[in-house]
Amino acid sequence: MRKIAILVLCFALIIGFQGMAAAETLKIGTLSPLTGPYAQDGTDILQGVKTAVAVYGQLKGFDKVEVVPGDSACDGGKATMAANKLINSGVNVVIGAYCSSATEPAQIPLMDAKIVQITPASTNERLTAKGYEYFFRMPPRDDVQAWSTVQFLEKKLKAKTIALIDDKQTYTAGLTANITKFAEESGKVKIVAHEHITPGDSDFTAVLTKLKRVNPDVIYMSVYQPEGSKMIQQARKLAMKSAFLSEDAVFHPKFLEVAGPAAEGVYLTFAQAPDTPERRQFIKTYMAMWNAKAVGSYAYYAYDAGMMALAAIEKAGTAKADPLQKTIRSNTWTGVSGDIKFDKHGDRKIAHIVWLVKDNQFAPYWDPLTGKDL
Amino acid sequence: MRNVSSIRIPTSHFRILNSIICLPCRSPEGEGALSDLKRNFSSMDLSAFLLQQFVNAIFLGSIYALIALGYTMVYGIIELINFAHGELFTAGAFIGLIVLTALQQIGWVETHFVLTMIIVFGMAMAYVAVLGVAVEHVAYKPLRTSSRLAALLSALGMSIFLSNGMMLSQGVSDRAYPQVFGFEAIEIMGARITNGQIFIILLAFALMVGLQLFVHRTRLGKAMRATAQNKTMARILGIDIDMTIRITFMIGPALGAAAGVMVGLHYGAVRFDMGFIFMIKAFAAAILGGIGSIPGAMIGGLIIGGIEVFWAAFLPSAWKDVTTFTVLILVLYLRPSGLLGEGTTEVRV
Repeated sequence: MRKIAILVLCFALIIGFQGMAAAETLKIGTLSPLTGPYAQDGTDILQGVKTAVAVYGQLKGFDKVEVVPGDSACDGGKATMAANKLINSGVNVVIGAYCSSATEPAQIPLMDAKIVQITPASTNERLTAKGYEYFFRMPPRDDVQAWSTVQFLEKKLKAKTIALIDDKQTYTAGLTANITKFAEESGKVKIVAHEHITPGDSDFTAVLTKLKRVNPDVIYMSVYQPEGSKMIQQARKLAMKSAFLSEDAVFHPKFLEVAGPAAEGVYLTFAQAPDTPERRQFIKTYMAMWNAKAVGSYAYYAYDAGMMALAAIEKAGTAKADPLQKTIRSNTWTGVSGDIKFDKHGDRKIAHIVWLVKDNQFAPYWDPLTGKDL
Repeated sequence: MRNVSSIRIPTSHFRILNSIICLPCRSPEGEGALSDLKRNFSSMDLSAFLLQQFVNAIFLGSIYALIALGYTMVYGIIELINFAHGELFTAGAFIGLIVLTALQQIGWVETHFVLTMIIVFGMAMAYVAVLGVAVEHVAYKPLRTSSRLAALLSALGMSIFLSNGMMLSQGVSDRAYPQVFGFEAIEIMGARITNGQIFIILLAFALMVGLQLFVHRTRLGKAMRATAQNKTMARILGIDIDMTIRITFMIGPALGAAAGVMVGLHYGAVRFDMGFIFMIKAFAAAILGGIGSIPGAMIGGLIIGGIEVFWAAFLPSAWKDVTTFTVLILVLYLRPSGLLGEGTTEVRV
């Protein structure tokens, strides 16, 4: 009898607490690599979301907003595990993940559990091509990026030959596949080599020497920032004559810090940064809050995702997935990365520009849409 | 002027070799291919290309060899794979970073360059030597008489402990290493070798030669070899076994620490988990050369570095790591004790 009473009491307590928690706390989960090679970007994302929660302040209908961090480690298996953990802890919204190869498998449990997921970084175009109605993406897609890259090669650099390097992951290999497609369609730029590296490696001299011999006009580095920073240093040590072009995963203050003078003259594609008072305010708040020297590139998108999610929950009056996704979709939000308006796939209307590293700073260089210098 | 006599390839073979080597040079259209090929050859001829890849291989190989020495020395003396070695290597890189940054701030890099390098390498190696002894004292010594599996688990635990300790103290992201060497290089027959690379290769070989001399020419080295051969007998003959093991745990990790500083100086960035990839390659090198054998580790390191570089240089680079480990498996299949291994485990009763 006493045993039964204790059991009943336990269940009552569990159920009671759960009910209380759901009524008062809004949980925002994040998925990003907090360990492993890409932990810098992962930490940027987590800090961006936390900044958004702190800046937003009191959310109507909730006592407090809690950020539940999940570690995706840029790995499909770990990301799925982290996503399930977030689902079990009762999150209402998930912001993440970083690597496309982690976001793709993590989508499955999250979409099944009907949780709104906003990725602040994953750019592989497959992610929004699956008809998931709860999935949104902050940065521009990779096919847009590849198109911009090929435009830049043809119209601005007037390159005849290009060599590609990727590290075989979903994002990097997807990007080189798209560039190959666009380049072959127009036929102006010839792809003379396609090399691969292993993620996490330090030494790329064998592949770079091979490309030095091929001597293409441009070498495209489709890698993440840690590999990119080391690769460009080794390329400079080999005195390679080709121009170097890279993408949004290398576009990070850490690239400038690690590569230093080696980074000069590297072109990168990244979305245009609007110079608004909100953005300047965010940079100030972020740097003060996290004692950071610079704001990571994906912290902007993570902050926007956090702010938009909170504003949408307040506007919809609920954190339930269906009304929430309708609210997000039907409104235009202002963010530090520009205006946010989603199409029916969950993609934003946002495009890349080409940046150039000059005096150890990223400087806007060329706009593929208008074909003009910036 | 195409002086290929040094590598002795007949001209007919030379053409075939070219078509293999320059796979990416060929474009789908037949017409453009030839002109492309010509243009490409004007940029870097075969001998320069081979020499450059040889430099790349020697550089990478000597770093692997230095790390592999730590594994092989510890295994030789107590028959334990020191899984914490990768972390000791990383710790060395971090100590080097801290010391170098401090010295750069007071301007010693410009004024006293040689002294700076001595201090940086000295401090890193000394710190990690002490750390190595501490690891041995805490994690391995109490388990010396228990089963090997227990010691192995203890080693893994130590590795995780050190790795997480460095993550908490040094952060999760890449830390930039001061680039004191710059991009200046000398060019020999079209192959470039930077001043930093020359310094690092020379230092690595000096350390390896020094180790070889130490082991074969000093009393301590003799004690070490005796302990490796037969601990009981060595003790009977009056060798302080504990001291000998402790010294092994100072030298091995110190060489790893030197390799860590070299990696930082050349590649420009260090991270708390960078030991892992280097550990796998160096471990493979130690096994390939015959674990327990010091010259074996050096040769193994150079071979692993060579396979990695030359495979990526001539054949599809995506298969680089597959090949490295295939070669390792093949060698072990044909010679289970490694290239220079003596099969000590079987001989010893």
